[in-house]
Amino acid sequence: MSLSLPRENVPPRRRRSFENSGLTPYLYLLPFALLFLVFVVYPVGYGFYVSLHRWDLLAETRPFVGLEYYRNLFDFSTPQAQFFWNSMKNTALFTVISVPLLIAVSLGLALLLYRPIFGRAFFRAVFFLPGVLTVSVMGILWRWMFDNQIGLVNAIRTDIFGMQPLPFLSTQGLAWIPIIVGTLWWTIGFNMTLYLAALGNISQSLYEAAEIDGATAWPKFRFITWPLLGPVTLFVFVTTVLASFQLFGQTLVITAGGPNRTTQSAIQYITEEAFSNNQFSSASAMAFMFGLVMLIFTILQFRIMARDAREGS
Amino acid sequence: MAAPARDLPAVTTTRESGPRRRGPRDIPRFLLLCLLAVIFLAPMYWMVATSLKAETDVIATPTQWVPARPTLDNYREVFTSPDGNILRWMWNSFFVATVFTVLHVALCALTAYPLARMRFKGRDTIFWIILGSMMIPWVVSMIPTYLMMLRFNWINSFHSLIWPGLAGAFGVFLLRQFFMALPKELEEAARLDGANSLQVLWNVILPLSIPALVTLAVFSFMGSWNNFIWPTFVVTDIDKLTLPVGVNTFSQRYVTEYGKLMASTAIASVPVLIAYLLAQRYLIAGLSTTGMKE
Repeated sequence: MSLSLPRENVPPRRRRSFENSGLTPYLYLLPFALLFLVFVVYPVGYGFYVSLHRWDLLAETRPFVGLEYYRNLFDFSTPQAQFFWNSMKNTALFTVISVPLLIAVSLGLALLLYRPIFGRAFFRAVFFLPGVLTVSVMGILWRWMFDNQIGLVNAIRTDIFGMQPLPFLSTQGLAWIPIIVGTLWWTIGFNMTLYLAALGNISQSLYEAAEIDGATAWPKFRFITWPLLGPVTLFVFVTTVLASFQLFGQTLVITAGGPNRTTQSAIQYITEEAFSNNQFSSASAMAFMFGLVMLIFTILQFRIMARDAREGS
Repeated sequence: MAAPARDLPAVTTTRESGPRRRGPRDIPRFLLLCLLAVIFLAPMYWMVATSLKAETDVIATPTQWVPARPTLDNYREVFTSPDGNILRWMWNSFFVATVFTVLHVALCALTAYPLARMRFKGRDTIFWIILGSMMIPWVVSMIPTYLMMLRFNWINSFHSLIWPGLAGAFGVFLLRQFFMALPKELEEAARLDGANSLQVLWNVILPLSIPALVTLAVFSFMGSWNNFIWPTFVVTDIDKLTLPVGVNTFSQRYVTEYGKLMASTAIASVPVLIAYLLAQRYLIAGLSTTGMKE
């Protein structure tokens, strides 16, 4: 440091000497480390421990049972196995249907909105707006929209189109419609905003050059927009799959998992098993099983973020 | 299609380029957007319209598209309901979210600072362990954390809503990335003036990082305010409920009284809608820049 003054005569201050002891960074990390150990690391080990024992809050002893609860999940004579895999199937079904819709519709909205148009800020706000509502408000709202007799959807069907009202909420299969439509309405603005940001970063000169080559709208989208949106789409895909797998509030509030458990999500069943049935060990085993499936997508997201971290450093 | 030709842009500068142009071509797009906006706003309209109807008008046929005899009775009943105090829930949510946000941002800043701007043994390992914790699906720790809350006697206490979520990796990651991008010169100047590391953090790093801190604060606050699963199970005492859980207890109680339900959801929506309208620009800008780097 060429600017530094001669320091020999300055007596070393206490805090300087402590700063130089090399402990400082660890002291900064200490509060996080404590919370991290107590609430992140320990629960994982503890949860696994619980899943290997017969955990009863009221019982004196909690005998070791090994992998019994995991084995039970593959013994389809038990209601646990049936209900758990049924809820996993429901969650997967929801994910498979909703994720492509969530990506396609949010990209469509972004494409409609990224070029200047009268009222663009208003439209952006309108499409983003539902996302700020809390899940129970959103759920109550869509339960009402799809109410079997007098919800808005059935009111429109009967009063305007002269059709019979459909009992959406209590019909197997149809009950997914309010859940998926509500989720679309609720979350689309988030992904749309990510897409809008990405679209804004695509150089206009690419489109201009393509226009000179005589490209019309579809080839421009197919060969310029879509490939250049690849990284965003991957990001949106992974985060949306993760969010869809966490399905809980929508089905709880809109259908309560019904009719006949056909819309019960995995987390909903795990929490039912733990907190309503007090089967903490069984529920822990399910949580690990469920976590294993989610881990695959979490690792994918982790890799995307790790790539960003490396680029940032 | 051939690869876009790179040696022709001179021609394009002479004409009005596509994205800036407005004109008749935009009318179908505008009308489509209007239609979509109506569809998106319909549930909100229906919520407010229903909340202003007497219960008999809610189920009247033919459907009342506009409340024929608007009344505030539903709101009055929700505010004075013996089944729960919605203003109290709002306050609980606000209190929990504020405390959580302040602690979370402070903790993440303290943690990100050495990870971004100091050299020490094990720094990268520690960072990757923290980042790696994001791979643990949340649901795995839900039940053990609940059992811990039982043992700590934190059921029906705001402690259970605040502490378990504090050590989040995302906030550390976000702030570390931001801190690393700050210029070294200012920090070195402060060091030459005799500042210790805490003074550097407080006087140099944090003031320069306000955009990142605000972004993290907004995400933390919204995350805590909207949290639904966890508070559903750790808080059951009617006076301790947070707003999302409280509103849901209304929905279980008034299964068919949609007038009251819609009044309660409208009340629950007001604070977030106001906050959103005030913060809209920053929120969308923050979203556009933090999630994606491309």
